[in-house]
Amino acid sequence: MRSAIVLGCVVLLAACSNPRQEVTSQLAQQVLLPAHQQWHDRNAALVQAVKGFCEGDAERASVAQAFMASQQGWSYLQPLMVGPLSEGNRSWQVQFYPDKRNMVAQQAEALLDSHDPLTQQALDGASVVVQGLTAFEYVLFDDKVDLQADKARYCPMLMGIAHHQQGLSGEVMALWEEAGGMLAQLTDFPNDRYASAEEALGGVLRVQITGVDVLKKKLGTPMGRLNQGVTQPYQAEAWRSRQSVASLQASLAGAQAVWERVRSLVSDGELAGKIDQAYAETRDKLEALPAPLFELVQDPANQPLLQDLYRSLDTLETLQQAELASDLGIQIGFNANDGD
Amino acid sequence: MLTRVAAGGLMLSSLFLSACSDEPKVEEKAAPYEAAQARDVISHYADLALAGYSDALAQARELQTTINTLLDSPNEENLAAARAAWRDARVPYMQTEVFRFGNSVVDEWEGQVNAWPLDEGLIDYVDDSYQAVMGNPGARANIIASESLTIGEERLDLTDLNADLLASLNELGGSEANVATGYHAIEFLLWGQDLNGTEAGAGERPATDFALGEEATGGNNERRRAYLQVVTDLLISDLETMVAVWQPEQENYRAELLADTPENGLRKMLFGMGSLSLGELAGERMKVALAAHSPEDEHDCFSDNTHFSHFYNGKGIQNVYLGEYQQVNGETLSGPSLSDLVAANDPAVDSQLKQAFEASEAALQALVDSANTGVHFDQLIAPGNAQGAATVNAAIDSLVTQTTGIEKAALVLNIQALNPDTADHEF
Repeated sequence: MRSAIVLGCVVLLAACSNPRQEVTSQLAQQVLLPAHQQWHDRNAALVQAVKGFCEGDAERASVAQAFMASQQGWSYLQPLMVGPLSEGNRSWQVQFYPDKRNMVAQQAEALLDSHDPLTQQALDGASVVVQGLTAFEYVLFDDKVDLQADKARYCPMLMGIAHHQQGLSGEVMALWEEAGGMLAQLTDFPNDRYASAEEALGGVLRVQITGVDVLKKKLGTPMGRLNQGVTQPYQAEAWRSRQSVASLQASLAGAQAVWERVRSLVSDGELAGKIDQAYAETRDKLEALPAPLFELVQDPANQPLLQDLYRSLDTLETLQQAELASDLGIQIGFNANDGD
Repeated sequence: MLTRVAAGGLMLSSLFLSACSDEPKVEEKAAPYEAAQARDVISHYADLALAGYSDALAQARELQTTINTLLDSPNEENLAAARAAWRDARVPYMQTEVFRFGNSVVDEWEGQVNAWPLDEGLIDYVDDSYQAVMGNPGARANIIASESLTIGEERLDLTDLNADLLASLNELGGSEANVATGYHAIEFLLWGQDLNGTEAGAGERPATDFALGEEATGGNNERRRAYLQVVTDLLISDLETMVAVWQPEQENYRAELLADTPENGLRKMLFGMGSLSLGELAGERMKVALAAHSPEDEHDCFSDNTHFSHFYNGKGIQNVYLGEYQQVNGETLSGPSLSDLVAANDPAVDSQLKQAFEASEAALQALVDSANTGVHFDQLIAPGNAQGAATVNAAIDSLVTQTTGIEKAALVLNIQALNPDTADHEF
């Protein structure tokens, strides 16, 4: 560790520029902002798709496709979620997960019962449980909802959620792009949020590292790792649309995009190689899964395959949380997953 | 699992901040504390745990006495006395929860004692509107009404309600919502379901649910009485076990903790504080319930005692930092503390954290004050209650700020990796 610090300082001295500031700025402009823009664009497409379907011009499949794109745009963002989206209750409005007690179904139906037809105002004033993609997914995919037969009841909810998401991502984009906004705070130091580029980079990395920890939980929980090995298919993310694996892939890709910008700062070449390999292995194992997670966990024959994937994620997490954090001198503080 | 709560800010090591100064300064920082001094702090931490669990045990015995009286004469007065004893028993126990995270011996023991939230339909009768966890095979098992239970291909004999049987039914079928024992099982038996949602009112089980003969209500009362007695006995024996874990000069976990490196001991203390503060109290116990307007996710949802549970959880966190604990007998136990170690190195970080504790205590007190005016936690989280949401959010925010202060204190003590589970990796 000590020799790594000496080396790091020598390299920094030679250039006497600040590579951490450059990397932070690249991350903001080339990874984080485009990821938010992509999510916002997909929400706009979701509004159009719902409109087409509810006005009778398009099939349900086009809404399903747009939903999956929004869901994946959001999944990609999760390990990158610094700043506005992580604040002010905004991320809660995108997705309600896990939902062990099926509150999405209860609250969506109760809201629809009390508002006929549902207005945008009523939805915007309701619980976060019904404002996000999880409620949208319920309407679109749940066996108990006959969407084709009951468009009059459910279309206002699909439309309301799509508009709510578009409004939310628009608000977040504005907070990134305004003068003195998040983009400026990641490129121009010191500012109200960060005293230095080092602090900003630390903030980005901490979220990214926590994001990989979250992936382990999203896989491990349906596998039954917290439940004496008894599998919990309803605790798979996006189980109704069978999109769990696609969500994991998108989040892993988001985390990897951050890693690829940060790699140049790592003093230990061997460690950088190990992290590259851990990403590649995890990605390959995810791609090789033959069916949705909701189905895979229900057949004990798939356990070895899932355990193997879990081990890869665990290796990746350990490499980043312990070794990468140490190499870069970053304290991994508390996160929302500590505790139960 | 929470992907939802935004954590506090990050502190970056200052190692690199001077990278472009004239001389690369790489110097070994002086150790922030003497090993002997840190050992005293850790030893006093164990004393605090011992005092807390001893108080919890004594209060549980008081609870047992009132429950015996209730079962002898099942009337509303005796039920009220048992409920009051349950509330009193929570005061010391909630202050011990800070020992749970970081000390795996406590965390592994805790499930049988304080697991939550539960699918209460496992234990006794519930209303038709009751919504259990999806896929939980035991959600409506109603042990009190059943002499056998079939889960999958397994048939369980429930004829004799003894402690081993009830303990074995925890996490039945792999569902963590199957909680058959502990404080919350007793709470459910004393109060019954709270069917008021986010409106005023707690559970309203009548005392006659424990009566025999003509006035009996609820059905299966012999079994309900047996159940209550058995889970109360089990709580006492579990607390006895935990008191033994912290006794000095024994071959026990306390001895292991004191024999470990001081750094690991301090890490466990700090990890327990931060985990309870952020992920558990601010996140699982408040944010989830508030954001979803879900009284099922309220901590003490049958008794509406949640405000005190949260308040004393917060108290426990600062107890560990300050090396203090006000015992049930009114005396304050105090001694060498983390605060002493931090203040000796960086008085500003120490005083900021103390201020953060004062602020969070005031914010949690606001939940108590609200309950004292008749507006309980489950009403504060009601849809459309903007003032209630602001009160709960203020408590959440104060805990997030406090957690950032705990991280800073850890850095002052040269502790970068806070999680004992990952801290063992080679650096």
